[in-house]
Amino acid sequence: MAWKKVCGVGDVEVNSVKLFDVEGVNVLVTNYGSGFRAIPPICPHMEEPLDVSGIVANCVLTCSKHLWAWDLRTEGMLGETEKPLKFYETREEDGALFVNMVEELVYDFDSEDDLDDDFFG
Amino acid sequence: MTSLAKAECLLPQESSQTEDLTVTIQTPTGAFEFPCQEGETFLHAGLRAGVSLPYECATGTCGTCRGRLMTGEVDIGWEASPALAKLKREKGDILLCQTKAKSDCLVRVPAKTVTQTSAEAVPAKTRGVICNSRKLTRDVVEFQLKLSAPMTFEAGQFALLTSPSVVGARAYSMVNHSIDKTDSIVFVVKRKHGGGFCDWLFSDTVDGTEVDVFGPLGRATFDTSEKKNLIIVAGGSGIAGMMAILERATRSNYFSKYAGHVFFGVPTLKDGFYLDELAKFVAKAQGGLNVTLALSNEQPSQASHPNYEGIKLANGFVHTAMGASMAGRYDNAMAYLAGPPPMIDAALRVLITDGQLSPQAIRYDKFG
Repeated sequence: MAWKKVCGVGDVEVNSVKLFDVEGVNVLVTNYGSGFRAIPPICPHMEEPLDVSGIVANCVLTCSKHLWAWDLRTEGMLGETEKPLKFYETREEDGALFVNMVEELVYDFDSEDDLDDDFFG
Repeated sequence: MTSLAKAECLLPQESSQTEDLTVTIQTPTGAFEFPCQEGETFLHAGLRAGVSLPYECATGTCGTCRGRLMTGEVDIGWEASPALAKLKREKGDILLCQTKAKSDCLVRVPAKTVTQTSAEAVPAKTRGVICNSRKLTRDVVEFQLKLSAPMTFEAGQFALLTSPSVVGARAYSMVNHSIDKTDSIVFVVKRKHGGGFCDWLFSDTVDGTEVDVFGPLGRATFDTSEKKNLIIVAGGSGIAGMMAILERATRSNYFSKYAGHVFFGVPTLKDGFYLDELAKFVAKAQGGLNVTLALSNEQPSQASHPNYEGIKLANGFVHTAMGASMAGRYDNAMAYLAGPPPMIDAALRVLITDGQLSPQAIRYDKFG
């Protein structure tokens, strides 16, 4: 367990995303109105930077590149989205947002795209 | 139809010239095998055979058609492709839309959506002769292609054109639409500086030139069974496919039941084109269709176009004009977008944020 402070709860406007450096790890914070989610800074589809391409509305994060979308309340995938987001555990305390930084969350583009025999098993 | 007969006798001749290679595509949902002519891309050969390989731009920029070459010899195609630069080439990653088979090949594709489709509406290779090219504005040209084999396509689809004198394929949306097969398709192109194909089209000597055509392609299509109000946002030559959609909708009286809202962005009043056609669509819709010309670099002096009463004028970017006009009116809407990537991005934000539209209610060709 390594709870790290990311930002103040007022630092990310409702229905927006903002990129933070948490001791060398890029963390994207989304404020979807009824809460916050902290995720890796890129889209799991084609590595699009979500601080630029991420749109938050109606508790949904949509990447404007190919319209992959995730429900920020349930963390589930919506529509034609094919890969889930990874989420850091978050906590709000004394007006600040903390993430549980056990290790940097990364999308394993190589192994998921890795077309080895197991993939077709 | 004589042109159809011509097509039927043309194809066997073509394929008999070269011995077909065999391409096998392995996907998580199964393997697909199809013939591929030497020099033909995997994507074209697969789509021709009705194998629904993944693609968006089909011109080497988006990376959607990524695969991995397991065995076989290939020509990797466009070396400077923006999408190729992101791939793990040392592992054999390739773009299906660029890579040409030089021997039988085995390729793995991670997409789970590949299926064998019916023979209907599969794209085909043909040739077309450019005719009736004309400048619509200072930097927009329209031209027609007389196809050697007629094509059936849906409103909103595009085709790839390759000229013998310019490297690489270009994707252009069809402006016209016909329910039946047609051997005449119309395109509109905006001149971009340094664009080889564009410069060539603007050279005044293109009429009579033959180009290779592959199509139809694209899923950002309109069908009269949508039962949705249409929001159409186009920047510059992005209006091309929208003209086909409006033609299709108008012919079926779609706007007598559902509303249509067209927002067409150009820099100044004199950059507008297809205004005659748009005004006619408005008149035929009898109140069901609104067209707004958004001028990003000019403050219009009146609310309507001086020559076309039915076309409204607005100042500012097209997504801003759309947002201002559509506020509170997004119910049961389907949006179609086409234009430069920053316009698409800005329009998406308005539609998703203000309009609360779901991704399923927004259609555009994802060329980026």
